[in-house]
Amino acid sequence: MTPDRAPTDRGTWRLVARRDFWVRLRERSFLVSTLINVAVISILVLARASNLATAGPSYDLGYVGSSAIASTAARLGADANVRIEIHELPDVAAADAALGDGSVDAVIVGDQLRGLHDVPDPLISLVQGSARDVAVTAILDEHHVSQAERDAANDPNPLALTALDPAPPSRKDNAAVAFIGVLLLYGQLFGYGIWVASGVIEEKASRVVEMLLSAIRAKQLLLGKIVGIGVLGILQLLFISGFALTLAFATGALPFDRTPFGAVGLVIGWFILGFAFYATLFAAAGSLVTRMEELQNVIVPINLTILVSFFISIGAVQDPNGRLQVIASLLPVSSALAMPVRIVLGAAPAWQIALSLALLIGSTILLVPLAARLYSGAVLRTRGRVKIREAWRSAA
Amino acid sequence: MGSPILGEPVLRLIDLHRTFDGVVALDGVSFEVPEGRIVGFVGRNGSGKTTTMRIALGVLQADAGTVLWRDRPVDGVVRRRFGYMPEERGLYPKMRVHEQLVYLARLRGTPKDVARSRATDLLEVLEVVGDPKARMETLSLGNQQRVQLAAALVHRPDVLVLDEPFSGLDPVGVDVLAGVLRSEASERDVPVVFSSHQLELVERLCDEVVLIDRGRVVARGTIAELRAMRARNLWRVHVPSAGDAWWDVVPGVTLAGRDDGAVVLELDGAADPQRLLDLARAEGDVVDFGPVRPTLSELFREVIAE
Repeated sequence: MTPDRAPTDRGTWRLVARRDFWVRLRERSFLVSTLINVAVISILVLARASNLATAGPSYDLGYVGSSAIASTAARLGADANVRIEIHELPDVAAADAALGDGSVDAVIVGDQLRGLHDVPDPLISLVQGSARDVAVTAILDEHHVSQAERDAANDPNPLALTALDPAPPSRKDNAAVAFIGVLLLYGQLFGYGIWVASGVIEEKASRVVEMLLSAIRAKQLLLGKIVGIGVLGILQLLFISGFALTLAFATGALPFDRTPFGAVGLVIGWFILGFAFYATLFAAAGSLVTRMEELQNVIVPINLTILVSFFISIGAVQDPNGRLQVIASLLPVSSALAMPVRIVLGAAPAWQIALSLALLIGSTILLVPLAARLYSGAVLRTRGRVKIREAWRSAA
Repeated sequence: MGSPILGEPVLRLIDLHRTFDGVVALDGVSFEVPEGRIVGFVGRNGSGKTTTMRIALGVLQADAGTVLWRDRPVDGVVRRRFGYMPEERGLYPKMRVHEQLVYLARLRGTPKDVARSRATDLLEVLEVVGDPKARMETLSLGNQQRVQLAAALVHRPDVLVLDEPFSGLDPVGVDVLAGVLRSEASERDVPVVFSSHQLELVERLCDEVVLIDRGRVVARGTIAELRAMRARNLWRVHVPSAGDAWWDVVPGVTLAGRDDGAVVLELDGAADPQRLLDLARAEGDVVDFGPVRPTLSELFREVIAE
C-alpha cells in the first residue's frame, strides 16, 4: 500500500514537544510571565546595587573651638566604615543655626555633644570614644609615655578573630544569588507545572486526546508535552538569568566572577530535574479532571509541596545547614529547590549532593511509568472527575 | 450495491469482552471486515458500538478477545495505519485547520511535505468551506465535522473505523462523505466500518451490516442475506374494486396489514404468489402487486424485539 509509513511511534514525542513548545511560546501568558520575572529581578538587583553604593552611613559633625575630638572621631569613623565630615563653626550661635538648618547632624561645643532633636547612635558612640581617646592621650602626654607603648595599647584589633566553621568569604554575595535563584526556580517549577496540567486538561476537554491516542501511545504524548513545555521553561530561565547577570554586573550589584554563572548553571540543572519530577505529577493530576475549573482541586497537594519546599529553601539562604534544610535538600519532593541554595552557599558536602541527585532522578524514573499509567487510564474518561483507583485499573 | 466478489476478511474482531464497573458493555462481539468493503455497524444507544470501535482502535483495552489485522494482533505499529473518527469529536480548537491535519498525519508517520499536500487536497475534496489557516473553533460545526473526517483520512489509512461519521452533517455533507467512503473502499481497497443511526443511509451505502444489541452481535451479513434470514414473505396487492377477504380461498395466505387501500398479505412456504395474482385479477384491475422488501430499520426493529 502506501509507502509513507514510519512503523512505530518511537520519537513522535518530538513532534508533540515541538507543538507544545510553539503553542505556549505564542501564548500571552508566556510574555506576561517573562515580563513579570524581568521586573522582579530588576527590582531586586537594583535595590542591592543601591544598597552597596551607599554602604555605611555618613554624618556631618560640627565643632566650636578645638578640632581634636572631631578629627579623632572622623578617623575612628573611617575604621568603622562610617564617613564623618567635620565642619568648623565660629561660635555657639552658628552651631545652633547649623543644627537648625540640618547642615550638621551634631556639634561638639566644649564638653557637650549637641544635636537638634537627637544625635544618631553611631555618631554618639564614635564621638564619645574619640573624646575618651583625646582625654587618655592628654594623660599619656602628661606621663611622657613612649609611642611604642601607646601603639600597643591603642591596637584597634587587640583580639584575633577566628571561627570554628568559617563561612566562605563571598557568602553574602552568594546568598543574594541563591535567593534570586530559588525565587526563579520556584516560579518556573510552579508555573510550568501548571502549564503541563492545563495542557493535559485542554486535550481532554477538547476530546482531541482520543485522536492522539489512536495514533501514539500515552507515554509518547506525556513525554512530548513535558519536554516541550520544559524546554520553553529552560529557555525562559536562560533569558531571565542572562538579563539578571547583565544588569547585576552593569550596576555593580554582584562582583564579576564565577559564582553567578555557576549559580545559573545550578538553577537550570535543578530546574530540569525538578521539573521532570513535578511535571509528571502535574500531568497525572491534570488527567483526572475534565474542566479547567477543577484543576485547582487536584493540584492542591502538589502546590502545597512546592510552596513548603520554597519556604524551607528561603530559610536555607539564612541557615543552609539547619536540620530541616538538610533533610529538605535530600528528599525528592523538595530537593530541587533546597539543594541548589545549599550548593551556592557552599554548605552541601559532595555526598549529600550525590545522594540528593540519586534520590531525585531515581524517584522520577519510578514515577514516570506510574503517572503514565494513571494518565492513560484517566485521559479517555471525559465524564466528570476520575478517581485515582479507577484510572489505575482502567489502564490495566 | 457492492461488488459481487467478497474481499478477504482483513480486520477481524474476535470474541471481545469488556466490563465497566461491573456493567457488561461487550459480551463476546465478533465480526470481520473484508478488504474494500463497507460495513455498517448498527445498534441502539449504549449497545456497545463505541466500546467496540475504541477497542478495535486500541484506545481501550478489552477484558478478553483479540483484534486481528491481516492475521496479526493489532499493536502500536498496525494501529498507526488505522483511520479513526471517534464518537466524541475533537481537535485542537485553537489550532489552524491545515496545520492541525499536517500534525495529526505526522504523528502517524507521514512525512511533512506529503502531509501538507494531502491536507490541502482533502480540504478541497471534502468541500470544507473556510480559510485553511483559520483556527478550528472559527469553523461552523458542519465544517468542523468535515475536518474531523479529513483527520481520519490524512495519513491515507489502511482501514477506516468511523463512529457516527454522518451525525451532524447536512444532506450535501452526507453525500460528500458517502462518496469519499465509497471511493476509499473501491479505489484503494480500504475496509470501512462505520456506525450510524441513519439506517436508510447504511442500507444505501453498506455492503454488509452488523447489528449489535446489549453487547452482542445479533445479526450480520449483506442486506439481502439479512432479509432472507429475517423477513416474512409479504406481498402488497392493490385491487381497488375487490371485496374483502378474497384471498381466503388460497391456502397459507393471511392478512398482515392494510396500506393505503392495498392489503399486505403474508404467504407461508406452500402458498404460490402466482395463484394469488390470478385470484386478484379475477377481482378486478390490479394496480399494484409485488413483494414487500422490509427496510433495514424494520429488520432492525424485528431483530431487536426478539
